[in-house]
Amino acid sequence: MIYHALLFAAAVVFAMWAVMARRLLTSAIMLALVSVTVSLIFFNLGAPWAGVFELSVCAGLITVLFVGAVSLIRHEDEKHPESRARFYALPLALAAFAIAAWFYLPEFFDALAGWRRMASGGGTIGLALWDLRRPDLLGQVLMLAAGVFVIKSVFPRRTEK
Amino acid sequence: MSVFAFDWYMIALLLFAGFYCMLASRSIVRQLIGLEIVSKAAMLTVISAGALTANLVFAQALLITMIVIEVVVVAAGLALLVKNFRVKGSADIWKLDSLKG
Repeated sequence: MIYHALLFAAAVVFAMWAVMARRLLTSAIMLALVSVTVSLIFFNLGAPWAGVFELSVCAGLITVLFVGAVSLIRHEDEKHPESRARFYALPLALAAFAIAAWFYLPEFFDALAGWRRMASGGGTIGLALWDLRRPDLLGQVLMLAAGVFVIKSVFPRRTEK
Repeated sequence: MSVFAFDWYMIALLLFAGFYCMLASRSIVRQLIGLEIVSKAAMLTVISAGALTANLVFAQALLITMIVIEVVVVAAGLALLVKNFRVKGSADIWKLDSLKG
């Protein structure tokens, strides 16, 4: 339980760091650390497949995309930085929200947990992905194709006339 | 307080940090970082609910779909950022309207 609570606390701290960091590169790296912490929480909750996907795709691929984009715009961002005052108010705002929510949310979530209906718990991830949710796989492939199409249409090939 | 209630309380804090980032910043990169944090909170909610109801298999299958969609959204958002930066030399989200055809 202590390990579990520490992981959640670390995720919140890294998320705050990602929001408040002055440099965009630091923000991207802190976001990767949030992903690593979230994947550790998935492993701890007994969801290894989700943890592996989170670690490889979110902490790996998305971080590479962010670092690539940030390295492109870094000079401009350092020349004209955003006002930091709003970001420095985050710990105060988060503390106020945490204190206010402490009186209402846990009670509500306990009531919510009381309404749950237990599943049979059977099956494997392979059965769920390849047999029961086969139409979704087609949807995922189409979603990836849509992403490729967006990037292709945003960066069209230049033709000299 | 149960473990489930504690998990969701911390997820609510994570969600707050993500929304705050999206509201406070005008940089497209920070908007996407805020969106990613909100997305992480949503993923944690799905897996936590799956663990609560002993239905982790379907929760993980759903989460894989969520990750695919998240990658596409981030790639499209960063492509818009790079395009806007090339056209206007700015990463300000309020200047994205310069891309309209």
